[in-house]
Amino acid sequence: MNKELYINGIGAISPQKTFDNSVFLEEVLSYSTNKMMCVDPDYSLFFDGRAIRRMSRILKFGIAAAMIAIEDAGKPELDAISTGTGFGCLEDSEIFLRNIVAENEGVVSPTPFIQSTHNTVSGQIALLLKCQKSNNTFSHKGFSFESALLDARLNALDYNVQQNFLVGSSDEVSTASYAIMSRMNIFRKEPCDNLAQLASSGKGVIAGEGAAYVVLGKAATENTYGRFVDVKMISNPKDEATIEKAIHAFLALHELSLKDVDIVISGLCGDESRDTLLKHCNEKVYTEQTIVGFKHLCGEYMTASSFAVWLGAKMLKTQQVPESVVLRNTARTPKTILIHNAYKTSHSLILLKQ
Amino acid sequence: MQELISTLKQQIVEQLNLKHIKPEEIGDDQPLFVDGLGLDSIDALELIVLLQQKYGIKLANPEEGPKVFHTVRALAEFITANQKK
Repeated sequence: MNKELYINGIGAISPQKTFDNSVFLEEVLSYSTNKMMCVDPDYSLFFDGRAIRRMSRILKFGIAAAMIAIEDAGKPELDAISTGTGFGCLEDSEIFLRNIVAENEGVVSPTPFIQSTHNTVSGQIALLLKCQKSNNTFSHKGFSFESALLDARLNALDYNVQQNFLVGSSDEVSTASYAIMSRMNIFRKEPCDNLAQLASSGKGVIAGEGAAYVVLGKAATENTYGRFVDVKMISNPKDEATIEKAIHAFLALHELSLKDVDIVISGLCGDESRDTLLKHCNEKVYTEQTIVGFKHLCGEYMTASSFAVWLGAKMLKTQQVPESVVLRNTARTPKTILIHNAYKTSHSLILLKQ
Repeated sequence: MQELISTLKQQIVEQLNLKHIKPEEIGDDQPLFVDGLGLDSIDALELIVLLQQKYGIKLANPEEGPKVFHTVRALAEFITANQKK
């Protein structure tokens, strides 16, 4: 199944000012926190007043990120929309549940209920675009975005060269989910400096959120960033040898070896218990590559790997590796990029090429 | 009746999150849907919930909806008639 797809448009809304595609991390926002929230663009540029009044945060930043990517790609007709989300529309789910309690299981406002489902973002994108083609939302914890990418590759298996696919993900930090996961000791106990987080070793992650989308096409355009080659999911690798074997096999499938990889975008999250295997790979496997981090910019969430794809695509197009993301520099130019993400014990490999 | 109309305008703006409209800008006889205030089918559901939560009135016959929710005045008249029962 060797079907490379061209990345013809990208869009991201994150805790950094990523909504403007004309710049590339020129200004990096520093937080002293254990929770990073999205920097909002002017949403009135994307939605009219009537549409925006019902939208929760995830709907606004999810749909806007998709619109940025579609606009960037030159507004092609889409043949499929594939999205991933770990937790779906949490804020509306919480409002709906609170209303049920407040009204003693009586009549409640329908809007939060309608918008509480996991596929609300992809559904709303389709409604706005009047796109009646394939529309899938994947919710598989740390493999949610990766599953959406795989869906696009499966969609690309036929012989129509004019096809374009929108692939992305959205996840939000909500008040209740943050409180619950704090009690489970998932987040850092004390606020910490996000930019120093990956260099320090501590317990807990900085909670993050965001949406990032790419328009993948079978044909290149003047705006092409690079190629999305393949995605591999490795569930619960038992030891270092297992993950190393999977990395080599994945690259070999595409007639590559480690020496061909220039940049590794590593999903280090700053929690020493979660980062063990990634640290091993960075020190013992990716010895010749420039290592780049990204979760100090967007925080940790189940679909953070879509932010890494946005970052990789930007590096391929600009041929720049911003200083703010470099963890180890071996002065390689970004031609072949391997994203190695991990959400707890869900490891994924995403291969991008110029 | 006028007091109820003013209260309803406030409740409609609040329930439907019409941030771009002030209650006093809604005309008593201005159509609420489509060309008037521009409300849609989800708003209709929200208005049914408003009727039940705030006034204890259930819209028994859905076919009455377009008439009952045509304007704020029509809604006020429906509430007045049904609360008296």
